[in-house]
Amino acid sequence: MKNIHFSAAIKPLLSLLLVVFFANSCQKEFLDRKPLGQLTYENFFQTADQAVQATNAVYNQFRAWDCVGLPYIGCTDIISDDSDKGSTLNDGPTVLEIDDFTFDASNSNFAAIWRGYFRVIARANVAISEIPKVDMDAGLRDRLIGESKFLRAYSYLLLAQWFGPLPIITRPLDGAEYYTQVRQPLEAVYAQIESDLLDAVAVLPEKSQYSASELGRATKGAARGLLAKFYLVKKDFVKAELYALEVINSNQYSLLTRYSDNFLPVGENGVESVFEIGAAALPTAVVGPGATPYNMVQGVRGTPNLGWGFNRPSDNLVSSYENGDPRREASVIYVGEVLPDGSTIVQDNPEIIGERYNQKAWVPAHAGLQDNGPGNIRILRYSDVLLIAAEALNENDKPADAQKYLNQVRKRARGTNNFILPDVTVTDKVQLRDRIYRERRAELAMEQQRWFDLLRWGRAASVMQAVGKTGFTTGKHELLPIPQTEIDLTEGGIVQNPMY
Amino acid sequence: MKPIFTFLLVLSALAAQAQHRVSGTVLDAGTGEALIGVSVAVQGAAIGANTDLNGAYALSAPDPNVVLVFSYTGYEKQEISLLGRSVLDVGLSPAQNLLNEIVVIGYGTQKKSDLTGSVGTIKTKEIERIPTASVDQALQGKIAGVYVTPASGRPGEGAVIRIRGTGTLNNANPLYVVDGMLLDDASFVNPQDVESIEVLKDASATSIYGNRGANGVIMITTKRGKAAEKATISLSSYYGSQALTRQIPMANAAEFGQMYNELIGQTYFADPASLGTGTNWQDVAYRDAPMASVQLSANGGSGKYSYNVSGNYFNQSGVLRESEFERVTVRLNNEYQLNPAIRLGNNIAFANSKSQNPPGVLLSTLWMPPVYAERDSTGDFSDPTFFGTSIGNPAADLFYKSNSHTKTNRVVGTVYADIKLLKYFTFRSNFGLDYSNSKSRYFEPAYEVSVSQRNVNDRLEIGFNENQSWLWENTLNFDREWKKSRINVLAGYTAQENRFDFFGASRSNFPSGQDELLYLNAGNDTTQLNYGGAGDWAMASYLGRVNFTLSDRYLFTASIRADGSSRFSQDNRWGYFPSVAFGWNLAQEPFMARQRVFDRLKLRTSWGVVGNDKTQLYPSFGIIQGNLYAIFGPGESLNTGATLATLSNPNVRWEEATQTDVGLELAVLKGRLTAEIDWYNRTTYDILYELPIPDYVGSAGNPVVNVADVRNQGWDITLNWRETRNTITYNFTGILSTVSNEVTQLDARKSEVRGAGTASGDPATRTIVGRSIGDFYGYKVAGVFQNADEVAASPKLGNEKPGDFRYQDTNGDGVITEADKVFLGSSIPKVTYGFSAGVEFFGIDIAADFFGVSGNKVVNAKAMSRFGVYNWEKAFYDGRWTGEGTSNTVPRVTNGGHNYRMSDFYVQDGSFLRLRTIVLGYTLPKTLTERIGITRARVYGSGTNLWTKQAYTGYSPEFPGANVFSAGVDFGSYPIAKTMLVGFDVTF
Repeated sequence: MKNIHFSAAIKPLLSLLLVVFFANSCQKEFLDRKPLGQLTYENFFQTADQAVQATNAVYNQFRAWDCVGLPYIGCTDIISDDSDKGSTLNDGPTVLEIDDFTFDASNSNFAAIWRGYFRVIARANVAISEIPKVDMDAGLRDRLIGESKFLRAYSYLLLAQWFGPLPIITRPLDGAEYYTQVRQPLEAVYAQIESDLLDAVAVLPEKSQYSASELGRATKGAARGLLAKFYLVKKDFVKAELYALEVINSNQYSLLTRYSDNFLPVGENGVESVFEIGAAALPTAVVGPGATPYNMVQGVRGTPNLGWGFNRPSDNLVSSYENGDPRREASVIYVGEVLPDGSTIVQDNPEIIGERYNQKAWVPAHAGLQDNGPGNIRILRYSDVLLIAAEALNENDKPADAQKYLNQVRKRARGTNNFILPDVTVTDKVQLRDRIYRERRAELAMEQQRWFDLLRWGRAASVMQAVGKTGFTTGKHELLPIPQTEIDLTEGGIVQNPMY
Repeated sequence: MKPIFTFLLVLSALAAQAQHRVSGTVLDAGTGEALIGVSVAVQGAAIGANTDLNGAYALSAPDPNVVLVFSYTGYEKQEISLLGRSVLDVGLSPAQNLLNEIVVIGYGTQKKSDLTGSVGTIKTKEIERIPTASVDQALQGKIAGVYVTPASGRPGEGAVIRIRGTGTLNNANPLYVVDGMLLDDASFVNPQDVESIEVLKDASATSIYGNRGANGVIMITTKRGKAAEKATISLSSYYGSQALTRQIPMANAAEFGQMYNELIGQTYFADPASLGTGTNWQDVAYRDAPMASVQLSANGGSGKYSYNVSGNYFNQSGVLRESEFERVTVRLNNEYQLNPAIRLGNNIAFANSKSQNPPGVLLSTLWMPPVYAERDSTGDFSDPTFFGTSIGNPAADLFYKSNSHTKTNRVVGTVYADIKLLKYFTFRSNFGLDYSNSKSRYFEPAYEVSVSQRNVNDRLEIGFNENQSWLWENTLNFDREWKKSRINVLAGYTAQENRFDFFGASRSNFPSGQDELLYLNAGNDTTQLNYGGAGDWAMASYLGRVNFTLSDRYLFTASIRADGSSRFSQDNRWGYFPSVAFGWNLAQEPFMARQRVFDRLKLRTSWGVVGNDKTQLYPSFGIIQGNLYAIFGPGESLNTGATLATLSNPNVRWEEATQTDVGLELAVLKGRLTAEIDWYNRTTYDILYELPIPDYVGSAGNPVVNVADVRNQGWDITLNWRETRNTITYNFTGILSTVSNEVTQLDARKSEVRGAGTASGDPATRTIVGRSIGDFYGYKVAGVFQNADEVAASPKLGNEKPGDFRYQDTNGDGVITEADKVFLGSSIPKVTYGFSAGVEFFGIDIAADFFGVSGNKVVNAKAMSRFGVYNWEKAFYDGRWTGEGTSNTVPRVTNGGHNYRMSDFYVQDGSFLRLRTIVLGYTLPKTLTERIGITRARVYGSGTNLWTKQAYTGYSPEFPGANVFSAGVDFGSYPIAKTMLVGFDVTF
């Protein structure tokens, strides 16, 4: 019996021991697993295509809620005198706090814009750090890095205007650096923005040098235009003039015949577009991969039901236009108005008091629902550049040139109606400045420019007082509070703005 | 039930016709001692007697061919056919379950009396009592320390199980071991195939499963045939009907109209009362639904082999319309003794299931204004968007979005060989496989009910998943037994690999929605989309254990497992999980030999380390996110974007738990009363959680880091009373568990975790050090503002008006801020308990199971969501503030905002006590059934969830939550049903 035991048993045991031994030596291989169907940081950035993809991913972030959703609208238009919160009384209480200047550092909208644009910066940093290591065409490589630098500079400029001094992060951080960043002086932030934009100007092609399918990528003109605006913020009017005129003299841009076309699909990437973020309602999904929340947040609420109805053009804005200025009609949707595509009449919504909407955020019927917003987000228009030029030229005591560009903008607005918007003829620096400021408001209303203009002009306090926003405290509310979580997580390494 | 009783009466009457005298003596089969008071009964008749002081009995049987049933507490019951005899002496053996009960443990079995760990067991009879597709649902209220919450009431759905509390902030599900195969779920197991379920609770029992054991282990053993047993064929079936346990009282149309007028401050509905009751949308969405099961099995064996073969068909419709579940399972368990040294065996199960998945109408059914009918006067589905675009007509969703089906095939099996070596060694090689594929099909036609409830293009989506896992375990056992001492040494090496693949595709523009056209090729190929991916993991392990019993009295166990897991980077790959345990059978001590009180008295204690590796598959890699499209050009084409959007942590490792257990087991009164009492303390260290990093870093997510600690402490108590008196056998079982759950460490930078976000933006739970996981957190309502003066004089949150909640200024700073929020209770019950009672007499069996929890809260979050003018609960209508002095507890009618912030108004008592099952069965007399070749025939009726005592105003206060931070929060879950059914079991 025992023999049977043995012969029957020993063979499989032996072979098994072999297998166990084999398994042992292969164990490391057996346990080494890599993500399947997913690239990792270790094996990405090998090809030119991947370099392009990493750059595209930077643009992608601009369509995120944090960057162009309600927090962005709240901290640009609603906070200003251009608009009120809108929507129904109780909807969006944190945005109402912004409208009324009753917010504190825990208001979630500030965390959103801070987070949103720092994510742009992080994606740009990855591209800028890794693309130089890719074996690829040098021209394309430089352009891609230039695009990321432009997008990084744009984000830093927004953040600096909102929050003031900032941590300057120009490469992906290591784990040990996550909590150790501190806010750098505004001059250092400006120096970083300037250097990025100058680099971008040097390597980016003009708009006409891109093929049609690439329109929307950062251009030399966009970088110069943004530089001009940046120098206005810095009050370096000489350089502002220089770069604004470079854009004008590049002959890449002109004004559209009809002002209102700027905000319709026909105006997307048109002759007047210096920089905009592309979006599209792709037909097969509810929230397609090309959508933005921008249109939905500001869309007509009620009947027709196009969105949430935030960002109500204020009484102050509506009454600020010169008599007969057609730009008012092009900027505001009223109850009873036929929508621009003639599709339907806006009905009264009893839940909203003083119902009014931002017409510039309106989009025609599209695939999917409201959340599949297809409207490109206009960041920099040529008329903005003309007004920057006018503003800089006036400050540089060149009223005639300033008038020239100012009146170009008015002429287009006037269209064929010679009874309205006459040419500005004043030459007194102070008076002309006021006319330029007023023109900026009319031309760029509800385009998320107003708050930054007021800050730049030092007029935020007086204007807020004038429109009855008594919550505004001078010396405090010119800057938004740093999100409280940033201060908590760095254990005070990031310092709060004054008076918060 | 009535027909059964009538049938019974007739049978008894038939049986009482003739008389046959019989007598005899009943002795202890081992000692030969006379047994006093043994119950001797005639099966199926109300005739019986007890043995006297000499063990003698005498009685008159109605028929010389009756079956006599001899039962005595602490002894095995015997059923003997009289076959005309007039003298029948019987020897009874002590009951096995008391002295020699065998318990399944990891990589082996052990005598219950030798066990040093804490292991809970339930047997087939109790499992079968719950009509369910899922084994884990049958565990509810059955084992101390095992807290079972139905995942939902959806047909075919399983349960969420927490063993001795919630030990992690991540996946806290236990490991399943089905006949030796290690799995993450056991949904394929047909409950009627199960012989026993053992739950391994303490570290002495679980640490042999290393870094998968920290959440406890559920061992499922399926039925096997016995060699040398004649073939038994069983057929059992039941059929029943399910219904909602209750409806949630909602406002009717007239009440809704009245409240809408109050909301807008105008008279929109001129005469709300004229709206009447309107539509009760719960009547529209829910129904009474049938369920049925048929099981046919055969088992037996002869000399060298044994078998158990079964097939089952299970069909359950859901109480929510358009939800269906259907499953066929087949099981083959065989064992072959090839020669005296080698035994081969297999346990193989095949399951094929089909389900129809209902659309998400659980909330819209409650929210839909009752003023609408299902369809309007033109026959179209009513468009409710006047009251808000976020309201969809649930009837339309059920109509258009219910063409959603999933089919799954799964094979799980093990094949093993046991080889006896030398004298004391056994080598076992066990190969296990788990293969499944599932196919899903979803078709949504083009339709338009409203701007927000529409589908512009029809769409067919097809998905395929495949999952494959293999396990190979090689263990060597050394077993040596002396008269009263035993030693078992186990050593082994195991490897397991898992891989899953998925892909899916979709197209639009189908000629029609007919079944035969719902294939992608019938759609327009220019609209196609597809996706696909895969994942895998592997594990290699070494294990070893020593069990030593000295003189039947002193028990010792030590074990260790080393696990290498592919989830972690090389530096963190291997984990070591040891345990030690001691036990002392006091009752076996010589000094206890004279006492008659304790049949068993055992003290045991254990300590060990276990791990939890249930984290992402590749947590240490930085993953490139690939869908970050950019749009360029007038063509608006999608340009692929990809980058590192989320930072990773290369140093991730498993979570580690240490557990201490002290237990007492006793049996007294000849085994009538048994008790098991355990105290445990389990602390989990290095729990992975997302450590927040400053937003300026720009990461889309936070890296996971091993930082948190959680402690669970509590008592598990099980009591069992079982007795046979005269012809009646009855039993009572009670279990009681307590858990105190406490987070003992979080990172200083993230000293809290907020979870379960509600519609108002307030997370419903907050987890901090010193409290349990996911405690509810919000404002305390101090009352309702009665007038403007009161508003003006009180601390405020914003622009409150009369009729709004007055939140309590808990920190007394004169304003209501985030700082005034306080803890409002825990979703984790302080006590869970269950008790069951059963009685058997004259062939009738009655059993009832109760289950209850107490000391927990739930949050009615579904009532907090108001993105449109949703319907209100009836209680809100009845209690609402409509003017000064009308209410100080329920606010005025508003739509979202102030009154819908997270507050104790929405927190309710989550305690409940439920009659889980009640069964009434009747086993036909053997004398009758044997004539037609039936060994045993039983008919029964049962009810499940028939009665619940609960304070909660929703369906059932059981919400396992999507994660541990959202447990107990009612975001609208598929309600559990009550079931009434009838069935039979026949054995040939």
